[in-house]
Amino acid sequence: MISLVRYLAADVFRGQRFLAPLLVFLGVMGMLFAYDPGPQLSAYSGSAALIYPICAWLAVVVATSEDVVRREITVVSAGGWSRVLSAVAVTTVLFGLGVAVVATVWAVVASPRPYTFGEFLAGLGAHGVCALLGAGVGLLFARPVFDAIGRTVLAVFAVVVFTYPLGRWTPLGWVLDVLGHNQFSLAVLWAGVCGAVLVSGAVVLGVRRV
Amino acid sequence: MGTACGYLDGVLLDQVSKRYGRGPWVLRDLTLEVSGLVVLTGANGTGKSTLLKIAAGVLKPSSGRVVRPASVGYVPERFPSDVKMSASSYLAHMGRVRRAAAKDVLERLGFVGSLTAPMAELSKGNAQKVALAQAFLATDLLVLDEPWTGLDPEAAAELCVMLEGRTALVSDHEGHLASATRVDLAGGHVTIELSRVVGLDALEALEGVQSVLSRGSSARVVVAPDRSDQVLAEALRLGCSVRSVR
Repeated sequence: MISLVRYLAADVFRGQRFLAPLLVFLGVMGMLFAYDPGPQLSAYSGSAALIYPICAWLAVVVATSEDVVRREITVVSAGGWSRVLSAVAVTTVLFGLGVAVVATVWAVVASPRPYTFGEFLAGLGAHGVCALLGAGVGLLFARPVFDAIGRTVLAVFAVVVFTYPLGRWTPLGWVLDVLGHNQFSLAVLWAGVCGAVLVSGAVVLGVRRV
Repeated sequence: MGTACGYLDGVLLDQVSKRYGRGPWVLRDLTLEVSGLVVLTGANGTGKSTLLKIAAGVLKPSSGRVVRPASVGYVPERFPSDVKMSASSYLAHMGRVRRAAAKDVLERLGFVGSLTAPMAELSKGNAQKVALAQAFLATDLLVLDEPWTGLDPEAAAELCVMLEGRTALVSDHEGHLASATRVDLAGGHVTIELSRVVGLDALEALEGVQSVLSRGSSARVVVAPDRSDQVLAEALRLGCSVRSVR
């Protein structure tokens, strides 16, 4: 699994399609933290909301980095679709966690307010959960569940856009709600469980689809 | 429908059928046991690539059972031409994925070019040699779809030598492996479904056409496997639309 994740990550870096979501992430983070972003955990709500679509985008990039034919070779080399799709999910989550770490550290460095270690960990957890949710949404509609990239982009965009107005009806809303109140609660943990279910469901659906 | 690993070093396809969605059956109740070198022959559209993908584990059969060994190497019909990764990096990664050491396949096939440049910059033949090199990392079974595509005569001859003694399922139009067991997938005929049919009489008169069944503007043409390419070309030249070939 580790060698497969290393290969997929190397392929994503070579392909450079990850640069677009990364640059959008860095640009918006720069804007969010240009001035005093407010109390410690509240300051994380903007970056947590941003990580969700960024990680959905990254998930699509990771899932479609190999073209169909090369993916077939990888599947045969690795010994089956389930291994490859699991590795795609792990790679996506690792990219998401990397983005979550950057977002969490960014606030600590850019904000004029001091952060306790507990607040840092709470922020890291919240960002990680939002990354997981985004990764789940991206993988759920990427190849091999949806073969055409156009359908993937439309579906992911639609789900991401409709998530925000639903507010506290969605796991993302639970996280943003508690952060917005400068708090941390078990709701974040439950949202993380939902994210893990989404990612696992995407792998299972992909394996059944092929 | 089922798939399992551990069938010695060959592959067993037992009563395998395949259709894509609700489309026509590409394969019906096919049973094939591969041990040693087996060459698949058959006209275009007879399901060779589909069968190879099922044997390799890329596709699941719609029904039937497949038993294959743990280590399978696969070369697709067309290796992608836009790979950004270098050949050396790709082969190193594939070796790690398989936990297998690199072999001298590239040297034996006469690879010429940069191993560190992106594979997109390689010629078609050299990219094919990289595809073969990753497949030869497998220890048990090779599944090769038209592996001679793009190879120069020396490399093609060397590939034949490399396949001797291996267990492999290979599709081959050009008769490179004369001594191998041959399996003709066409099963006696190829069925071409046409729509917007014009010049039906001309099609009927072509050599190899066994029957023509006309239904409105559509037609089903049954043709001998060795003449299917010519009939297909003539149908297209006449302006017919080809709905399926199987």
